[in-house]
Formats: sequence, C-alpha cells, structure tokens
Amino acid sequence: MSIFLYTPYKSMIHRLDPRAKIFCLILFFALGLVFNNPLYLLPILILTLMIAWLGNSLKNLWNLRYIFLILIAFSTLLWPFFIRGPTELFSFWRIHFTLESILYGFAMGIRTAIFLIAGVTFLSTTRIEELTTALIKLKLPYPLAFSISTAFRLLPTFVGAGSTIIQAQTSRGLDLESGNIIVRMKKFIPLLVPILIYAIRSINLQAMALESKCFNLTKDRTFYFRLKMKKSDYVIIFILFCVCLITLYLRISGYGAVLPRL
Amino acid sequence: MKEIFTMWKNVRMVLLTALCAALYAAVLIAFKAGIVIVPGITEIRPANILPIAFSILFGPAAAWGCAIGNFIGDIFGTLGPGSFFGFIGNFLLGFVPYKIWGHLVPISSGEEPEIKTGRSWTEIIIIGFISAAVCAVVIAWGLELLGFVPFKVLSTIITLNNTAAHIVGGILILLVWARVKKIGLYWRDVMAEEDVGKPILPKVGALLMIIGGVVGWIVGAFILPVGSLVTLTIFLIAIIIAMFLL
Repeated sequence: MSIFLYTPYKSMIHRLDPRAKIFCLILFFALGLVFNNPLYLLPILILTLMIAWLGNSLKNLWNLRYIFLILIAFSTLLWPFFIRGPTELFSFWRIHFTLESILYGFAMGIRTAIFLIAGVTFLSTTRIEELTTALIKLKLPYPLAFSISTAFRLLPTFVGAGSTIIQAQTSRGLDLESGNIIVRMKKFIPLLVPILIYAIRSINLQAMALESKCFNLTKDRTFYFRLKMKKSDYVIIFILFCVCLITLYLRISGYGAVLPRL
Repeated sequence: MKEIFTMWKNVRMVLLTALCAALYAAVLIAFKAGIVIVPGITEIRPANILPIAFSILFGPAAAWGCAIGNFIGDIFGTLGPGSFFGFIGNFLLGFVPYKIWGHLVPISSGEEPEIKTGRSWTEIIIIGFISAAVCAVVIAWGLELLGFVPFKVLSTIITLNNTAAHIVGGILILLVWARVKKIGLYWRDVMAEEDVGKPILPKVGALLMIIGGVVGWIVGAFILPVGSLVTLTIFLIAIIIAMFLL
C-alpha cells in the first residue's frame, strides 16, 4: 500500500505539466485569499471541488471529510472570540458575538478547506518524481532537489522500520496511550533511538557509496524524466490568472468582504 | 550563517539533510491522526522531539531537514499557503539550537553538547524554549496574516507543545551523542572548518533571538490585541537580524 496520495487516472488534470499544476495551485491559494465573505468564497469552493472531481481526487477528499467539517466548525466558533463587527447578536461576559465575526469565522473555515482541497487534488494528480523534476526545472538548486527526492525515497523505508520498532517495543510492554504530554513524549524515546541509529547507519553507508563513485552535486545534470509545457498548460494558467485578476478587482471595488481585513 | 549555504557542497551534509527530513516527516505522518489541537493546522507532535536533537547533532543539515520534513509532512494532507510559514518556522526550529548553543551567557558551559551535566541540561531546556518560541512567532504571524488562526491561540500552542517536546529531545541527544560522534557524523566533524561561518556578534545575536522569540510570543499572545501584525513584525525583524549575527 502506498503512503502517498497519488491516484493513477487518465484525466485532463493528470496530463497537465507539473509546473503548470504548481502555478495553478499558487493561483488557487491566491483566489482563496481574496475574499473573506462566505458568499463569495462558496463559488471558489465549488470550483475547487469540480477540479478535484475532474482529477478523480474525491476519494482522497472523502477520507478527510471529518477534518473539513471540524475545521469549518472550529473556525466559525473561534474567530468571534477575537474580532468584532458592528452588528452585535449577543454578548457573554466581555465577549461580543457579532454577525460579521461569525461570518468571518465561517469564511476562514471555507478558505482553509479550499486550500486543503487544492493541495490534496494537486498531490492526487502529481507523482512525487514529477514534483521534484518540476522543482528542478523551476530553478530549485540541484543539491536541495536531490535532498528532497532522497528524503521522499527514504520515507517509506523509515516508516516501515518505525512500525516494526513500534510493534517490537509494544510487545515488550511499552504503553504509548497513557500519561500526560511529557510522559507520552518520553515514551517515544525507546522508539526514536533505534530508528535514529538505523537511519544514521543507512545514511553513512549511502554517503560512502556516493563518495566512492565521485558523486558531485555541483555539475550540470541530465534527467531521464523530461517535462514539456503544452499549449493547454499555458491556456489553463492564463484562464486562472484572469480569474484571479477579476476577483482582485472585485475586492478592491468593495465586494466580498465582511470585515476590512485579509 | 555561512554554513547554511556552504553545506550544500558536502555530500554527507546533503544526505544528513535528507535523513532529518525523512525521519521528521515519517514521525509527523505517523502521528498526524493523533491528538488534533487546531484542526488542519496543528496537533500534538511527538515528532518535535527530533528538531532540537537534529540541530545539535547535525547543525545546518537539521535546519534544512526540518523545513523539508515539515513540508513533506504537509504534503500528506495539509498542504496550503500556510506551508510556506511552516517551512520557515521549522527551518528556525533546526537553526536556532545549534547556533545559540554556547552563546547563552552566563548559562552556557562552553562544552560539547553531550548533555551530561546539570548546566548543559539547563542550557538545552532554555534553548529548547527559545527555539520553540521563535518558531511559534513566525508560524503564528504567518497564519494570522492568512486569516487561519489568531496569533494569540497558535503561538501559545506551538510554544508549549514544542518546549515540552524539546525537553524530551535532550534525552535523545544524551542517548545518541556518543554513537553519532563515533561514526563521525557530528556536523562540526563533517564540515571543513573554512566552510563554517564565524559568528559576528553571538551574544547580541542570542539576545535578539530571545527578544524576537520569547518576548514576541509574550507580547503577541498576552498583551497586544488580535490583528497587531504590524507591531509583531518588529519581532520578526529581530529574529532575522539575530540570524545574521549568530
């Protein structure tokens, strides 16, 4: 079973160049930030969900459904404690619940949901190899990209080693479920020490192997996996960019804000 | 902070970055569904035992490793614009401990970080608290800017959560120090001396880091009203200046 979210599927979103998907993701984040009125954020949420549906990512989103619900409820309840609008609904002790602050809290919940849906859709339609190659093509320094891709490659190994160690220590009587925060965290020490030692040993061996082959991080490299931006990639970026500009114009013109803040 | 950049030409440091990132991400992912504090934003993170230990053992590789590890952790369900501030905050979580170790006058013992004496324990706990507060100020500032959670709430949660984890992280250093040193993977042994930056004003830098982190957290969480992001920017500037002085 893969620990990654990527779902193989032949969709238009899957076929997009990963660099185009990164730009689209940033533009979606920007779209989510423009308004703070739930009425204006709901269409953006629906658009994000439609794109998730096109990319066959709804299954991954369904697994997170409770997080979305808790997130929106939490945000709606939290913000009225800290901000105040002109239309007071009721007050309790020194806290004034206003219509605007509740709407703002609800909008912030929707905003966070938009970000999460966009992020999950991106990861459901983009392989990790595509992501790292795209980052290199976007001029991320090669040593950093190498480090990221090595970390991704090591991740399942460490998760596997970790779960074996957890089972071994639990079978010896380690109870991870009881105690306060510090007590619980202390109980992770018998797990982390063997994982860390295992990781250090494997990295030391890998370093020796790379050094013996004169591996050099500073030279220009060629890649097996090649990316090419198509016309459709540019068209989608252009459309999303125009949508962002229109929403920004609306916000500057005074629409889509329940309170004068981001 | 020269070593933050020069480390990239050293294969071992690059691999140590990958190790820190992978291990941090693995533990983050394993406990992501644990005890959620702010849904979609943060949870009780046993993984935060690691940054302080990584920082003391692997220096600049830990700073990059924690930042990348947190980003990878975000990729498993919480990727968003907040991930940018998470990247910077976790970078500082790995950067601050090794940089201010030995510069906290009069607490610092000047010893290697074996964490065997009471004095070095005091130092690691204080450093853990400072780095937790620095990380909290950056992330909470960014997330209030984006409208996710008020600074007051998140900065306190992150500071307390990370400080608790960092105390336990001291035990981890104590247990693995000798082995890391023996294998020759302690960052000062891995990097060439000329690649390690000499601090410009380490004591002033450490003081500014305390002002930016600890004072910033106290002022933002307990004194200023919600929405005082412009005032809080002063503390971010203090942190940036401290980074250059250390």
